[in-house]
Amino acid sequence: MKRIFVLLLLTISATSLAQNNAFQAGEKLSFTASYNMSGLLTDLAEVRMETSEIKTSKSTLLRLKCTATTYSKWDNFFKIRDIYESYVNPKTLTPYLYQRDIDEGGHYKFVKYTFNHKTNTVKSLRRQKSKNFESGFWDRNDVVNINYGTKDLVTTIYHIRNLDIHKAPVGASDSFTVLFDNKERKVSFTLLGKETISTNIGSKECYKLAISINGSDILKGNNDNILWLTADANKIPVYAKFRVAVGNGELKIKSATGLKN
Amino acid sequence: MRKLFITLGIIAAIIAVILSALPLFNVAIIPAIAALVFGFIAFYLSKKENESKKAVQLIFLLSIISLGLTTYKSIFNKTEVGDTKALELRVQEAEDNAIEELEGLDLSE
Repeated sequence: MKRIFVLLLLTISATSLAQNNAFQAGEKLSFTASYNMSGLLTDLAEVRMETSEIKTSKSTLLRLKCTATTYSKWDNFFKIRDIYESYVNPKTLTPYLYQRDIDEGGHYKFVKYTFNHKTNTVKSLRRQKSKNFESGFWDRNDVVNINYGTKDLVTTIYHIRNLDIHKAPVGASDSFTVLFDNKERKVSFTLLGKETISTNIGSKECYKLAISINGSDILKGNNDNILWLTADANKIPVYAKFRVAVGNGELKIKSATGLKN
Repeated sequence: MRKLFITLGIIAAIIAVILSALPLFNVAIIPAIAALVFGFIAFYLSKKENESKKAVQLIFLLSIISLGLTTYKSIFNKTEVGDTKALELRVQEAEDNAIEELEGLDLSE
């Protein structure tokens, strides 16, 4: 009887841990991405993060979609129209399908990952434009072995919002494995503390998280790449600061609608 | 010394004009202010040495043009997203493809 009780308790706690409490279908967040050059900000693009419900004949899934669009003044110079999206289990946020469809200044790339969590593999399709093929596209199909719990980029961003940050002490860090460009990369987050910042959606108390990617030099500096998540149940990413090879960038929230809490 | 400041001033002023014409226009403030500073030094030196001030005038003219253009653009230029019809179409296409792909998957964990 005691064993059954413990087992029951474990199952309940496991399912409650896997619950998605931070966002729901229909949430729309929009951001302004800007480039910072010695204090002078230049707005580059609009980034949108949207969730919606997707129904297939067998189940209902959550679609997590991120798009990036350059502002009209940049379109003649370097036009960006990017789509990153992931189709996940609405409760556990386990990714089933990830699609990345990017068009950056004429450079086109399409990536599709189909996750198989039973065999811990990902079927990957990478498509690029090429004149060497009759179809005009160069397709590469691979099967990538992944570790248990490996997620795609979009799911990881939403997964962070679902962590119990309020239980973590300052200095605590957590790392996630992200599949990007057919390679698994470890992304670590460290809680630096709480901070109240003023944003376009009001003054918010936020968790300040430092991000670092192991084995990659995309993000420069130590503790220079910081993400601010609101310290409420929604954990909206309101502000992000990152340092790359060509300078500093910022991501500021513009609007947030359809919040869960 | 005077020539050095005139050269620096003209270079900074030209950079300022070019930058102010680009979408990165608010960065033009830095070289424009530098050009004005060099211009003032060159003006002072020209006055002291009783030399021609034509080049100094050119520096001032260019930096004022760039500052004017930057100010005009920062007031009247709206940051808005351009044409997204093609993107919306791709988003819809991506969704259709995804549903087709997901139908064929065994989604039980």
